[in-house]
Amino acid sequence: MPTPDDEQFEAFLRQFRPLVPETLASRDRAPRSRDSFVLGAWISAAAAVLIAVGFTLHIRSHRTAVSNPASHAASAQQPVPSEPLTLRSANALLAAAPSFKAAVDHMALHSQTIPLPHGQQSAIAVLSQEKIKL
Amino acid sequence: MNQTDGDDEIELLYRQHGAALLLFARAMINDRSRAQDAVHQVFLKLIENGRLSRAVDKKAYLFACVRNAVLNEGKLAHRHRPLDPDTAWFSPPDRDYAVEQSLRRALLALPDEQRQVIVLHVWGELTFSQIGDLLGINLNTAASRYRYALAKVRDSMCAQENTRANSR
Repeated sequence: MPTPDDEQFEAFLRQFRPLVPETLASRDRAPRSRDSFVLGAWISAAAAVLIAVGFTLHIRSHRTAVSNPASHAASAQQPVPSEPLTLRSANALLAAAPSFKAAVDHMALHSQTIPLPHGQQSAIAVLSQEKIKL
Repeated sequence: MNQTDGDDEIELLYRQHGAALLLFARAMINDRSRAQDAVHQVFLKLIENGRLSRAVDKKAYLFACVRNAVLNEGKLAHRHRPLDPDTAWFSPPDRDYAVEQSLRRALLALPDEQRQVIVLHVWGELTFSQIGDLLGINLNTAASRYRYALAKVRDSMCAQENTRANSR
């Protein structure tokens, strides 16, 4: 049985901490670091591809907007009508519609905006901007 | 357990017990670089072979591996190298390297079997049963060697301290 003196001396000895050995120069660290290098390379390559694709798309969309700003603005605000309302199409609508009201509703509810060339305005648009006192 | 888990476990064991294992190796051969080589050799083999998972008592197994590494390489031939006062074994409390040297001298003055037992028990924190298994001796023999070693170290350190005090 250890005596109290022994235990005290043991405790004193344990205050001396053995020196820590040098870092383990593990031979398997090379494959592991090589693995992480390969993984890092793949991630970098994927990131580079994504950036390149994003940049290309951005350039393309920018070029489209620059080359046709009017159509871009129009398409952003409202859909382009399929065709303008003419007498012939109105007659066709009236003939095909179940009732006169339905035909008029169809003509009224569908946008009849015709895209104009850049710098031109429709007469209705000009008139609508004037303040008329009644 | 996959290879990475095994490596992580070995790395953890190295951090936990590396210092005590190094001290144990130094207690056997009194040469820091050779002792460190022996410890590193053990861990590198464990990483390569992955045998540690089969060990029931991993700490005791590590001490046994270090002991075998030292013995197998015939490094015991170098154990009576002159004491190098510059190579500390311990980080002493209050940075008192005079006491550290005194402890080191006391340990080196012990017979090998007693020195191994005291290092394994105090700094390796192995039980006498584990030490008995490791060194191939009876539990009571291990405890007996320990008591003798402890008394000798205490006496030696007291004597050195008295000598220092008288010389001041």
